[in-house]
Amino acid sequence: MGVVVTDMSFDPEMVHAEFRKTVGDAGAIVAFTGLVRGEGDITALTLSHFPEFTESEIARIGAVAETKWPLTAWHVVHRIGKMAPGEPIVVVATASKHRRAAFEAADFLMDYLKSEAPFWKQETRGAESRWIEPRAQDIADKKRWES
Amino acid sequence: MATILFFGRLSESSYAINGALPDYVQTTDDVIAWLSERDDGLKAALATPGNRIAVNKTIISKSMPVSDADEIAFMSPLSGG
Repeated sequence: MGVVVTDMSFDPEMVHAEFRKTVGDAGAIVAFTGLVRGEGDITALTLSHFPEFTESEIARIGAVAETKWPLTAWHVVHRIGKMAPGEPIVVVATASKHRRAAFEAADFLMDYLKSEAPFWKQETRGAESRWIEPRAQDIADKKRWES
Repeated sequence: MATILFFGRLSESSYAINGALPDYVQTTDDVIAWLSERDDGLKAALATPGNRIAVNKTIISKSMPVSDADEIAFMSPLSGG
């Protein structure tokens, strides 16, 4: 069960390999990797966070996932700092005895990271930067888990 | 000494503030009113819907008492992943 927030570029395959060593008697692993989308003329995406609080909030969201699904392990790696299109920005990995729990818990964690984890995102196009805020779709995605 | 922090879009409106709160500032709503008096730009930024407030790293949903011992963080809408 780990949370890593890092300003260094990381290799998702290495994260997956390390995660696999921690899953105990799981029969299913789901590992999601999010990449910086290379939309149009985006030159960079810059993420900032709230040190300590961001990590503890992700841990809290992970603890909620543990109450909803029988996970043997979960892990979140999230980038901060300046990233180029195509770079990995997030890895969410979950493990459980059976696939459904692992799929659903990974989906849940991603939906919460999108709109509930203390990160702030700025998109740069040439000389212009703008803040990105959750889209209506992100809010709706998160609401799926509230029943 | 209270610490007031600004994150995301709000970090463009103010630097962090470390200092004693005026005596009449007793709650998070008072902090917003006090900061809004000091700076029109910050006033508009703090009034933007979707902002969140954390006191000592716990997100609050309604105004609560604060003192000089607290860290008060103002955050524009969160966006990770």
